[in-house]
Amino acid sequence: MIFLFIIVPLLLASLLPLLGKISRRFLPDLLANAAMLFLLVLSVLYAKPLIANGGIIQQAFWFGAPLNIRLLLDGFSLFMLFTISLISFAITLYSINYMEHYGAKANYYALLLVMIAGMNGLVLTSDLFNIYLFLEVAAVASYALVAFGQGPDELEASFKYLMLSAVASAFILIAIAIIFGLTGGVSFGTVAHGLNTLNIKYVVGFCSGLFLMGFGLKAAIVPFHSWLPDAHPSAPAPISAMLSGVLIKVSGVYAMMRIFLNVFGLTPALTTVLTVLGIVSIFVGALAALGQNDIKRMLAYSSISQIGYVVLGLGIGTPLGILGGLFHLFNHALFKSLLFLNAGAVEQSTGTRSLDKMGGLAKRMPLTAATSAIGSLSIAGVPPLNGFWSKLLIIIALVQAKMIVLAVLAVLGSVVTLWYYLVLQHQAFFGNLNENWKAVKEAPFWMSAATVLLALLCIVTGLAFPFVIHSWLQPAADVLGKGVGVAMNFIGF
Amino acid sequence: MHLFLMIGLVAFSILAVLSRDLLKSAISLAVASVFLALIFFEMNAVYAGVFEVSVVAGLITVLFITAIALTRSDGDVVESKLHRLIFPLFFAALAVIDLLVMRKLMGRIPAMVSPESGTFGQVLWNQRTFDLVGQIGVIFAGVLAVLALFRQGKSPAGDAPHTGDAALTGRQPKGDQHE
Repeated sequence: MIFLFIIVPLLLASLLPLLGKISRRFLPDLLANAAMLFLLVLSVLYAKPLIANGGIIQQAFWFGAPLNIRLLLDGFSLFMLFTISLISFAITLYSINYMEHYGAKANYYALLLVMIAGMNGLVLTSDLFNIYLFLEVAAVASYALVAFGQGPDELEASFKYLMLSAVASAFILIAIAIIFGLTGGVSFGTVAHGLNTLNIKYVVGFCSGLFLMGFGLKAAIVPFHSWLPDAHPSAPAPISAMLSGVLIKVSGVYAMMRIFLNVFGLTPALTTVLTVLGIVSIFVGALAALGQNDIKRMLAYSSISQIGYVVLGLGIGTPLGILGGLFHLFNHALFKSLLFLNAGAVEQSTGTRSLDKMGGLAKRMPLTAATSAIGSLSIAGVPPLNGFWSKLLIIIALVQAKMIVLAVLAVLGSVVTLWYYLVLQHQAFFGNLNENWKAVKEAPFWMSAATVLLALLCIVTGLAFPFVIHSWLQPAADVLGKGVGVAMNFIGF
Repeated sequence: MHLFLMIGLVAFSILAVLSRDLLKSAISLAVASVFLALIFFEMNAVYAGVFEVSVVAGLITVLFITAIALTRSDGDVVESKLHRLIFPLFFAALAVIDLLVMRKLMGRIPAMVSPESGTFGQVLWNQRTFDLVGQIGVIFAGVLAVLALFRQGKSPAGDAPHTGDAALTGRQPKGDQHE
């Protein structure tokens, strides 16, 4: 039952506040981790074989009677499900120790699970309006999670995020309303078929623009990115990791690419817009990150820059470009979560996020320093780690598509990335140990376990990249590569 | 008649945005949504009209006014005058674009061939079931957000002060499930 991906986190979220009364820490920790592990196993062992012969549509049943709930599972949605489950599992592991000092752990897990249910629902639906709805489920939970610390900064960041996100939702909703008016339906199949027969280029262009603004805001592509550097650093570290690692990709990149590539069809104009926005994001994000002193803020700007690579790769629209973009999406989920979790460990140990005040922490926190180094080298694209291969694929795809200038710029962006991550590593972990941090200890067990898990995955994905591409990425890239044909096959649904 | 309602809707919406007084702003918004509801009734969308009047004009306005009554004003917030200029300009630009795009669009709209037919209830229960799951999710996320954000502040001593809040934590979602 694919429906379990949505219903398990949603049900558990409704139970957790109750269970939190019985057991304040143990039960919420155990159940949240068990649920995420279950979803991870489900996506690998159950859902993967299910789509061996291409995408399927599964109907939900309620005591034997069919419900009008149909879920679409294909290579692309499974790839996203797997990414969400994997990162969420690492994050729930990390939260066991990290969330101790925040209190209200049961509520925290409940919100996290609602957010995960929202993302899973978004990825599994085959209907424009449901995309909007599940986007909101994930978004409402994320506003609360950003403000979870209840400090003035957190509340301000959350409010800014809420306001800009509401604007994004309005754009998305207007576009859906126009499309519904034109085609008389909101399911992917009906819309793709309707737009194909109607031949209304300009209206589709107008709606594409609205979607680009809406989902672009959610994904924090450059002209729409201003909320991210506030929202992501303010949240508790595991939530920063979740937002930067997964949420902006699911509610921004996934939704945008699913609609543009599978429902509307990629046009040359759209390719130009997406690749240019991608390159601009890479540079604005990277250059802004260079000037940051707050470690989490630097990572947040870096997310904007790396999302630029993903959009650039997917925007090219060639099979290799799509593959590279998706691979970078997966890799970024791994190393950005890892880096945010490490930043959280450092913040918890030292009580500061300012890079100036750190220094020499490698002597006191060897595990955190080592995993952070792996994450930094991966994200900067140092071979043979995973970030190198995905950036290489994107750059080769750019050269193949005769976009030489963009390819050169993408390489330059990567150099800037290496630069500011070396600055980060140098200021935080190397050099002389600051007097204040003599008594600092290594992060607790579960926090270290989560970061080590992610760091190992970075190395394994880098070394075994042909396997990862063959088993997980190729089916996803195939779905996107087939274009509008995918949605057309689902007519009647 | 139709035009009159449309003008009323737009005029009160603009008033809601431009008004400096929050109370006036909230009331203008309520009046605007009454106009919108009347337009819905005119166009035979009875359910949409009923919800618009009851929820948007009624319930939400009550919430707004309660919230305004509960907050105290901490002196005047200094805002730049630029904002007041930008909105009318933006509005005018949007109206022009709207006029140009909508003209084209209106001519193209095909007869609605919605596969979803039947009464409001039937459509909601039988054809848009997944929406309901999503909406439960949204409401639920909202409830949890309120619980999480309005919990008692962190106490260094321990969890003792949380008990009052925990009682609320227990009750609220339970009610949600039974509904």
